[in-house]
Amino acid sequence: MTTKLAKTALRNISRNKRRSILSGTAIGVSAMAIVFLFSIIGGMTEDMAFNLKTYYTGEVRIRNIDYDKYERYNPLHLTVDWESVKDLLVDIEDIDKFVPRISFPANLYIEGSNFGAMGVGANFSLEAGFQDLDGSLKSGRLPEKGKNEMIMGAVLARDLKLNIGDKVTVMSTTAARGTNAITLKIVGLFSFPVGALNSKYFWLPLDRAQYFLRMNGGVQEVLIKVKEGVDPKKAAASISSVITNNTGKTLDIRSWEELSTSYGLMKMADMIYNFIAMFFFLLGSTVIINTTMMVIFERMREIGTLGAMGMHGKELVRLFFFEGTFISMIGAAVGVATGIAITLYVGKVGLDFTDAISGMDFEVSSILYPKLSIGKTIFVYFYSVIIAAGATLIPSKKAAKIEPVEALRYV
Amino acid sequence: MKYKIIVILIFLSLIIPITVFSITGEEIIRKADAIQAFDTSEAYGEIRVKDRFGVKVSTFKSWTRGKYESLLEFTSLAERGQKILRTEDELYLFYPDAEELIRMQGSMLRQSMLGSDISYEDMTGGKDRVSQYDIVLEGEEKVNGIDCYVLTMTARVRTVPYPKEKVWIDKETFIVWKAEYYTKSGRLLKEMETLRVEEIGGRMIAMESRISDKMKTDTETIMVINNIKINIPLSVDFSLDDLSW
Amino acid sequence: MKFLISLAFKNLTRYKRRTLITAGAIAIGLMMYIFVDSMLQGAEIESVRNLNWFETASARILDDDYWESRFQKPLDLNIPDPDKIINTLNVNGIAATKRMVFSGDLILNSQDFGEDGNMAITVTAVDPERDFEVFEFGRTLSEGRFLKPGEDAVLLGSWFAEDIGAKVGYWITIVTRGNGGFYEAMDLEIVGIVNCPNPNVNRSLVMMPFGTADEYLAMDGAATEINIKLPDNADVDLEVVKIQNMLNGNNLTVMSWEAMAVDYLAIAESKRGGSGMIMFLIFLIAAVGISNTMLMAIFERIRELGMMRSMGMSDKEIRMAFMLEAAGIGLIGSIMGITLGALANIFIIYVGIDYGFLLRDMDIGYRIQAIFRGVWNPGTIVSAFFAGIVISTLVAYFPTKRALKMDIPSCLRHQ
Repeated sequence: MTTKLAKTALRNISRNKRRSILSGTAIGVSAMAIVFLFSIIGGMTEDMAFNLKTYYTGEVRIRNIDYDKYERYNPLHLTVDWESVKDLLVDIEDIDKFVPRISFPANLYIEGSNFGAMGVGANFSLEAGFQDLDGSLKSGRLPEKGKNEMIMGAVLARDLKLNIGDKVTVMSTTAARGTNAITLKIVGLFSFPVGALNSKYFWLPLDRAQYFLRMNGGVQEVLIKVKEGVDPKKAAASISSVITNNTGKTLDIRSWEELSTSYGLMKMADMIYNFIAMFFFLLGSTVIINTTMMVIFERMREIGTLGAMGMHGKELVRLFFFEGTFISMIGAAVGVATGIAITLYVGKVGLDFTDAISGMDFEVSSILYPKLSIGKTIFVYFYSVIIAAGATLIPSKKAAKIEPVEALRYV
Repeated sequence: MKYKIIVILIFLSLIIPITVFSITGEEIIRKADAIQAFDTSEAYGEIRVKDRFGVKVSTFKSWTRGKYESLLEFTSLAERGQKILRTEDELYLFYPDAEELIRMQGSMLRQSMLGSDISYEDMTGGKDRVSQYDIVLEGEEKVNGIDCYVLTMTARVRTVPYPKEKVWIDKETFIVWKAEYYTKSGRLLKEMETLRVEEIGGRMIAMESRISDKMKTDTETIMVINNIKINIPLSVDFSLDDLSW
Repeated sequence: MKFLISLAFKNLTRYKRRTLITAGAIAIGLMMYIFVDSMLQGAEIESVRNLNWFETASARILDDDYWESRFQKPLDLNIPDPDKIINTLNVNGIAATKRMVFSGDLILNSQDFGEDGNMAITVTAVDPERDFEVFEFGRTLSEGRFLKPGEDAVLLGSWFAEDIGAKVGYWITIVTRGNGGFYEAMDLEIVGIVNCPNPNVNRSLVMMPFGTADEYLAMDGAATEINIKLPDNADVDLEVVKIQNMLNGNNLTVMSWEAMAVDYLAIAESKRGGSGMIMFLIFLIAAVGISNTMLMAIFERIRELGMMRSMGMSDKEIRMAFMLEAAGIGLIGSIMGITLGALANIFIIYVGIDYGFLLRDMDIGYRIQAIFRGVWNPGTIVSAFFAGIVISTLVAYFPTKRALKMDIPSCLRHQ
């Protein structure tokens, strides 16, 4: 019986192509828009997470145990012993990659005046695996280890009217709590996906930063990315125990969820995005429901005929349910596929906001790449099918109760 | 006859205040300034800075000529080769790794030197104190058992960092044993104390002094001179050339 | 024509269900459009307002060289006689207030704060009696009271207060340099805490009376800036030129808030791109929803159309009848839509969504109120109303036209 009904449903769909296409497109467009929106949201969230992990906290961050307490006083002398920590981290299973960093407030001495900026000492060969350095480098090259060179944020360079080849004297407070100055040559300009980094920061080789800041081989922090599927919180705990067991020292090792700033940021973004997504679902659902209901109500005469031919109410409901399900399966499939296609295309090209975003401190990338979430896409597909199929139940149950004669008269 | 008496009276009235306060505040300051200025000097010393993170020691070698010219070169590891040149009107910093000299001016002078309680401004100050301050001799007090004049100096201009200063100056040697620096309303900002003096080449020289910034908690900076020679020929001439060898 | 209108009306009332479903599709689409637009616009307007109300005012008068060295906050690049200028502005019907901005070190003593510490801060000295005419700090007070002229007191932003553990009644010391460079230390009592919806301000605000700062810093009445409030509908750039002429040089420059907040505006511009995309997707779903339901409603009635033709109605009349009917559905849907949209707006505008707790530590650069509110956007409502009618009428045109090309029997046989 069910197979027969399914067959009838299929025949009905192909017999009245126009109607099927209409209700199918409604479902399809809704599914497509939702898939695309989710991809945009996914891209934004992903970016925010990526930027936080890459430029701010890592997934796990190692600092000196007292650093955060005195952070206000720029306590560069509270270091992490990079050489010993490095060797331990290499052997830890959960860790994918890690980089040492030293961020310090500095004054750039230009024509007799000081301009505030932030310096970052980094190991560029390790950074290459940690972030997309080549992609971020707008012009020039990366600084070489051991040389007094720097790369500067493109926006900062623009503001200070500096260019590749220019030399800048940088002054800062050292780990010895004295002052020091060093002249660095700009060898490249970078444009990171976070606006704030481009308008305030310059990067120099780690060894030069250590030397300049008298860090004695120490670093301010080590940022770690864990392997796929590893919980950063658990990884932080295990890293912590490995380091304590081997060096006898306690370090401040926390996952990025525990570092309140990033956590709050993500939370807020999530909430705003989910709120917007909710409206899309609402709107998409009403479109699907309306179209489906319309289809059934318009077919009252047909229902009357079927009833007159002896089809039971329950069968009628099931027939329409099948029809709705089949149409939505096809419609949603086409819609989702279109959504995926658009996402893949835009995901490749990217939506560029770079220059517009230069003064911004929000960790949303200047270029947005929509990101497809397989889970969410599948969810959208089934959601659309279920809504459409469910929407058939209301009118068809009603139709099933109507006497065939009455239904035949129905216009 | 009558005329003569008047002349004597006038003379007396002029001489009496002078005999009661045999010296004025301005003269005391001038004398104190004078004993600090040598034709030339060459010295080794150290700066001990104590802050919330502990004590840090930097060593230096210094040269001075006259009242305003000085050159300081750090010899301790963390800041080896850094130099501070003070000429009559300017203050320059030299850092071995910097390819240009840094001329300190304006608000840059307000920064602390080596994270100590001494600002670059403190190093350049002291010029024209007599013309910038109203100096009043308040009386006499003992500091560490030594008889001192107590003077208060109130700034006449707004361009000096400390609107009020109170100094204790040795009645015999004119060494400044203690100085306090206040805001206009009398809030203590900084305190300087001379801890040890030595007689070198017939001059009294402060060998160890303590400066503490009262706006910070539990910080102090101790300047120590370990070895000083005065009025000797120098190998430096306090020009920018001295900063680039 | 009268007949056609009454026919369309009769059809609308006769097929209540179809009318309702089709109109419902329109209504929901329009409601969503109006609502989401209200939210996005609300975010934008609110953040501009937060900027104008708490940071930049509408325009600002500064010494010619001030803007260039604004990061140093120089006291010597000042406006010597601000009251005279303010009076002139007032005479011309422009609200203005003087301020003095300077940097200093905040000294916390362990007695009140548990631990000693010091940190760099920026202090804003305001005229307690006139600041409200330009800025809106008056209604942000969350604890204590506002400043009184000439007292030794400060007001702190609530996040800043929370950060340093400050409470009303505590004393703080601010060490700074007066005009000329002399040291000054001020002991100030915290008399109030403001919870300012502008996070950038709330995170850093230290505010004291102008007179007090004037005396301590020996400014002789000079201000570092005069802030001007212009009416919401004023052409800021035009007013800036007028005020600049009024100042007659005197080494003073007027800057519009847009000139001061270029970076911020650049961000807003890029956000607008994102909002546009969201609105486009919403419009797309709504339009497809409306047109599909409408198309279906017409296609299902081709038999009826055939009947009308066989009874001798002209093609023109039939097309008119169908389009009038569609317009009627559009009208009903639009009315429902803007009513629902308005109801949703009432919620988002007058109640809002509170999410301040999420904003604590962020420097988001985009100034948004902790309670998220929408705005009334009459333009969107009106255009949504007409879009509902136009889309449904247009959508009716094509299938009707196609059906009219068919011969009558196939129309009548049409399923």
